[in-house]
Amino acid sequence: MMNGTWKVDARDGKLAMAHIYVAFVALALGGLAGLLQVLVRSGKFELPAGISYYTILTTHGVLLGLVLTTFFIIGFQFAAVSRTAGTLSDRVRFWGWIGFWLMTIGTAITAFYILIGEASVLYTFYAPLQAHAGFYIGLTLVVVGSWISGFAMFAHYAKWKKAHPGQVSPLLTFMSVVNMVLWLVCSLGVAATVLFQLIPWSLGYVDRINVLVSRTLFWYFGHPLVYFWLLPAYMIWYAIIPKIIGGKMFSDSLARMSFILFLIFSIPVGFHHQLVEPGIDPAWKYLQVVLTFMVVIPSLMTAFSMFATFEMYGRSKGATGLFGWLRKLPWGDARFFAPFIGMLFFIPAGAGGLVNASHQLNQVVHNTIWVTGHFHLTLATTVVLTFFGGAYWLIPHLTGRVMTKAMNRLAIIQTIVWSIGMIFMSSAMHFAGLLGAPRRSAFSTYGDAPQALEWIPYQIAQAVGGTILFIGIILVLIIVTNLAFFAPKGETEFPVAEVAEQAERTPLVFENWKLWIGIAVVLILIAYTVPFIDMIQNAPPGSKGFKLW
Amino acid sequence: MKTQLNTSTPKAKVEKEPALKGTLASVLFLGFFLIFTWVSVYFLFLNRL
Ligand code: HEM
Ligand SMILES: [Cu+2]
Repeated sequence: MMNGTWKVDARDGKLAMAHIYVAFVALALGGLAGLLQVLVRSGKFELPAGISYYTILTTHGVLLGLVLTTFFIIGFQFAAVSRTAGTLSDRVRFWGWIGFWLMTIGTAITAFYILIGEASVLYTFYAPLQAHAGFYIGLTLVVVGSWISGFAMFAHYAKWKKAHPGQVSPLLTFMSVVNMVLWLVCSLGVAATVLFQLIPWSLGYVDRINVLVSRTLFWYFGHPLVYFWLLPAYMIWYAIIPKIIGGKMFSDSLARMSFILFLIFSIPVGFHHQLVEPGIDPAWKYLQVVLTFMVVIPSLMTAFSMFATFEMYGRSKGATGLFGWLRKLPWGDARFFAPFIGMLFFIPAGAGGLVNASHQLNQVVHNTIWVTGHFHLTLATTVVLTFFGGAYWLIPHLTGRVMTKAMNRLAIIQTIVWSIGMIFMSSAMHFAGLLGAPRRSAFSTYGDAPQALEWIPYQIAQAVGGTILFIGIILVLIIVTNLAFFAPKGETEFPVAEVAEQAERTPLVFENWKLWIGIAVVLILIAYTVPFIDMIQNAPPGSKGFKLW
Repeated sequence: MKTQLNTSTPKAKVEKEPALKGTLASVLFLGFFLIFTWVSVYFLFLNRL
């Protein structure tokens, strides 16, 4: 085994578990909101007591898009660096707890203002929609807390490097560091708009806001955000799944290379979310779309690497024929099955992403429910199923328990339920979107417009799928509760894969942070400086705040 | 054909590349699927121009 300890230290385990509990509480509440949304959009159900659809939708987006993800990721990464680069020092762990509490308090403040109906601005909080200042202040605490945890991980990594001069760092630690660098660089954008624009404006210190600047800063953050969600799933695919199936990693260098490419190419691309926005010169949109398509490279590298891992393993077990290796995979093991299904869903998800990012095709799907269908494949299936698969060994490892056969079977069923629900819900969303159905709107026939009537069957299918998904949420919560509190005591492995013998040695250049962060910054400056100056110099009058709910 | 003697080349052992036919087929399929989806929506776009 590489330098790491076999088992995550109990004190580090507590820190990781604290994050994971919050993540799953967010899943429970956010899932309930999701259920209400699909029911409302079917046209057969109305929210009681005058609750606004947008209050529910904001709850759903914030809890699942922002809270579940960030907490699970940071918890998982603390466990991963502790496992592979050694037990955290007391100082690092202390700052990890500070980060955790800031994030948790921030979440509570934000959730409070959403639930009392003072912040129905959706998880993207676009100006000129204006929430109560408490909403933004809570989010600021979440981000600051995550930064502190990020720096705690950097410090741990630096200590390892110091103790092992000239050595390549453990893969999972390296990957966690890349992800936190990505997060740090991109969240500067959202911090800027929140601190310098939204908070002063919501407190009434300034009257008007530059909407385009604020949206641009948001999407400078928003696209890398999706890679911040995705990279931990890739950590599990690259560095853990091979061990679970009993095989080897195809290549350590390839994995590091793809992470570096994501770091470089996932930031200077936010304009692909603003393709229909006025005030940005099409030439700059074009440049950012080209950069967007560069992430096809590491994505296909990842696909190749996963197929290769599976095929090499299957062939080592005597598989023959073109696809005989598929039969050798451990289909009955939920730690493999859930992430594998997540990978399969990434194929249509990626295809949809290419459509979204192409300027002309974006006009077909922009702001339709197609987009919602897309990220319920990427985030709510690929990433989330991979996280569930991770939780099935991570939680018992950290709580000193073992997953029983019965729970494993339930987890397989959970994965199947999720897949069926998502096939219904997401396909319905994609097709309705192609027919023009808008996202982010409650049920309406728009004065019995023929076009709107076409959407209704899809909205019913969406409700059926969403209800099945909600059952999936109940199942995973049962499993997680069992693993955390009731499963039999015992030792569960934290699997970490080894590299195949034929693989090339990993060069140290991947840890030349000055180089990679330097390239990332240069690309960001190229992609954003001129259009950003333009937005400020040629700005229309700013906007007052609106509360439309 | 001459019988091949067991002459090991001076260059140590010959690295054996793993056979990855299934991987190749899979990524090709993936590529075609991506192109197919893109082209489908592109024609939808053209139809609606
Ligand atoms: C029971 C399971 C779920 C159901 C039924 C569901 C349903 C929905 C629906 C119907 C919408 C769009 C509503 C609209 O645009 O009017 C939506 C939006 C969204 N969902 Fe889900 N969802 C579920 C699970 C998840 C999960 C697990 C995640 C993420 C981990 C997630 C993340 C999001 C996000 C970020 C939005 C966007 C909110 C916005 O547009 O402001 N959902 N969901
Ligand atoms: Cu994006």
